[in-house]
Amino acid sequence: MLIPPNQIKISLITAPEFNLEYLWWLTILFFVLAVIYFIGVFVIRNRITSKNSRTKDKKVEFSPMINEFLFYEDSNTKEEKMNYLNLKVQIRELIKNNFDREVLTEVLLDLRKDLSGNSQSVLIELYQDLGLHHDAYEKLKSSKWQVVSSGILELTTMEVEDSYGLIVRFINHRQSTIRKQAEIAVVNLKEEGIKYFLDNTKYKIAEWQQLKLLDVLRHKPNYTPPQFGLWLTSTNTHVVLFALRLIKYYNQSDAEQSIITLLKHKKREIQAEAIECIKEFHFVNALLTLKLVYTKASHDIKISILDAIGELGTIADVPFLENLQLTERNFNIKGKVIGTLNKIDPERILPTKNIATTDFYDVELDELSPDFEGKSVEIHEEMPLYNTIDEIDTEIEVATVATSEEVENLSVSWSFNEDDISSQLTEEAVSEEITEEEFTEEELVEEVVFEEAGLDETASVDELVPLENRKINSIDDIDLSFLPHIKSDYSNEDNTEETEEAVAELLEHKAELEPEEELEEGFSFNFLPLVVDEITMQEEEEEEDVVPLEQEEFNPLFDLYDSSISYEHTEKVTENYSDGSEMIIEEIDWSALSAPMQEQNDNRVLITDADAEETIISFEDDGISFSPNFMPQEELDAMVLLENIAELGDCRELILLYQIIDEHSSDVVINRANELIQKFAYQAPRPSELFSDDHDLAESVFTEVYHLADDETKFMLLNEMMIVGDQKEIQLLESILESESKLLVEKATEVLDHIKAHLSNELETTTSSIDEEFIFDLDFELEMKEPTEQKNTSAREQGSTLFDQLCAMSNSLYNKKNG
Amino acid sequence: MGKRVLLADDDQLLASLLNFRLKKGGYSVHHSPNGKEVKEYLKNEMPDIIVSDIMMPYCSGIELIDYVRNELKSKTPIIIISSAGNEQNVLTAFELGANDFITKPVSPTELLVRIAREINK
Repeated sequence: MLIPPNQIKISLITAPEFNLEYLWWLTILFFVLAVIYFIGVFVIRNRITSKNSRTKDKKVEFSPMINEFLFYEDSNTKEEKMNYLNLKVQIRELIKNNFDREVLTEVLLDLRKDLSGNSQSVLIELYQDLGLHHDAYEKLKSSKWQVVSSGILELTTMEVEDSYGLIVRFINHRQSTIRKQAEIAVVNLKEEGIKYFLDNTKYKIAEWQQLKLLDVLRHKPNYTPPQFGLWLTSTNTHVVLFALRLIKYYNQSDAEQSIITLLKHKKREIQAEAIECIKEFHFVNALLTLKLVYTKASHDIKISILDAIGELGTIADVPFLENLQLTERNFNIKGKVIGTLNKIDPERILPTKNIATTDFYDVELDELSPDFEGKSVEIHEEMPLYNTIDEIDTEIEVATVATSEEVENLSVSWSFNEDDISSQLTEEAVSEEITEEEFTEEELVEEVVFEEAGLDETASVDELVPLENRKINSIDDIDLSFLPHIKSDYSNEDNTEETEEAVAELLEHKAELEPEEELEEGFSFNFLPLVVDEITMQEEEEEEDVVPLEQEEFNPLFDLYDSSISYEHTEKVTENYSDGSEMIIEEIDWSALSAPMQEQNDNRVLITDADAEETIISFEDDGISFSPNFMPQEELDAMVLLENIAELGDCRELILLYQIIDEHSSDVVINRANELIQKFAYQAPRPSELFSDDHDLAESVFTEVYHLADDETKFMLLNEMMIVGDQKEIQLLESILESESKLLVEKATEVLDHIKAHLSNELETTTSSIDEEFIFDLDFELEMKEPTEQKNTSAREQGSTLFDQLCAMSNSLYNKKNG
Repeated sequence: MGKRVLLADDDQLLASLLNFRLKKGGYSVHHSPNGKEVKEYLKNEMPDIIVSDIMMPYCSGIELIDYVRNELKSKTPIIIISSAGNEQNVLTAFELGANDFITKPVSPTELLVRIAREINK
């Protein structure tokens, strides 16, 4: 039978009944406990206060006694001496009381901190005279670590040497406070304490403890440190580390081999300290070991090693560093490598990041050249060679570097050595001694256009002037702005790029030539009469003025009268140094010269390989003879191709370069090709092995980007692969599975599964091949098989640099994603 | 009666020791354990030299120099006793007009020499 709900009574709060009597008892209990507590606090506080008061009183009582003891002198009066003896008796009576002994000890310890000099010594003697150190000995026997520690501290402070034997046994105490106190005491009390400590300690020596120990040693008067190299073989690595630091502090450089060996120690701290020692003592013999250790070292050790190499290294270590520069991936280490390179060989590597290109600035380089800036150029005489130019009526646009207005102000300083010129620059018709030459705009009848930047010109000149005829301290010393340049069909942008390259090339050659060349006063002009054959100049020593060349004496190689030059096809004319090196002078379309011009110049000399070795200007019998220095067409083509490869190519051109070497016999071509082979073979960023037959990963558009990316980017690329990937990504993904980190492997597995599933679905649904649409048909290998001319143009248009390919890949990806 | 030295130091033991040594050296020494007492004393009497610890209750040694130089307009020589590593305070003391300083641990003999030198200037 159910009970009706309204009859059910459940109390919401139920509490047991409590006997109030217990409550009263509990109240009384808490009250009593509180009273006991407060009484206890009161009693203890009073005891402490009274003890402090007693101690203070005792200190006041002891203070004059101690003062008397401290400042007692043998020269005191008899009364003072009697007083001193009475005090001694009095104090001995007082210290029979334990409390008094404690207070006296405390007073002496306090004063020990505040006093120095003779007073301190007297204080220490007093402490031992009164036998207070025996209390400290008793403390050493205590079972409480704090008592033992205070006993050791007391004995150390009061410099009780006899306690050394007692304290030594605490060196390996398991309680760290006692152990550390004992370590300091042992080192402090006796000179040989440091040896005992280093020989016997088994525990870690903390950094702070090392500092304290070093501080103790530093403040020891007349301390002679032992040879800390003896402890470099210790089994306790902390002892080795401390010994290295002590070696460095005390400049003990006699343990060179041990320190070098410690570079291979497993502990980073010891490696780092060894490197510091090597730097400090300039152990050059350590360089080999430093390089050996580098590969397996941690990042911080690598940086330390690089720092050490920077300190100790020579130019012989540059290849090692250059190799590191190419292989290191860590940003900090790479930066350090570059810094080290520049430290060994200053300014070996120049800044490249965030540097604007020259065309970013609107100012022409010529305007900034030193010639233009500051030199007051005066040309007094007409230059004969320019007279000849005057009379050549051509369509060549010849101009000065500056505008026509600037030409008026433009002047050229001819810093010729008169003697040199008199002996070198001679011609049959012109036999005056050249001192200075002045020309103005009016004298330049033709439109002379200097399109090339000034530095480019100077580069050419620098390369053309025979080394033996120079006396120019720097390239800036030569004012070459007057030189005519043949206008090419390159755009300004191209010129700017070429200018930059020419500058770089110039600097290279300059660096190569500087040690060899002994510059002399004046310079030759073999760069000028490229179109002139066998023009000689004779000098007359009596006259200083320059006499213009007679027109009839001037026999140009080809006449430019009524001839036009097509600039559509340009070639590079090369000039050969006596040492066999060659440089590009100017791009001139020689083949475009008209036939009549050739006919008028029967004495034109076509240069052969043998001629290529000769200089353009030769000085014989006090005369100057000009001879053209042309290459055979085939060789010229090859050089043009090589220069294009140098400009645009990379390691993929190696095959072509080898072909060129096989096909040509000219030393100039072969040398240049070999240079380029060396250059491209040294290029590391492109992992060429990835494109080999063994690793046919090139099919994936992601391959190259993936291998250059960081982990985060790799994940993004894997995500992209999941979206757009197909069969071609499989090999890349499989390679990732073998080589990458766990997370990347997981992701790659996921992508691989996805692609495989996707491919199997595709095979079922469609038979159309995606290969035709596949975007990454890199045609750069094919390009090499194409004719050279086509390659040159296509290389420029499509770009064959790594950056161009990356851009092409990203574009292709984008196109593929958007159908 | 020797020259009057005001010794301002809250460390009773050291002050007592220096007091003893200075008295033994022929000086008349007045010891004040805190800055407040020093100021009170200086209002009534100006010693020949003041030897003061930098760290004192109520009034630091720096404030004491400032008080003597700027409020009392006195040129009485002041020697500062400072702990090692307290160089910044020493520099401040010199800027305010301290004549010399000596670092702890103190050699009483050295202090005696410095006091004599300052007084005899």
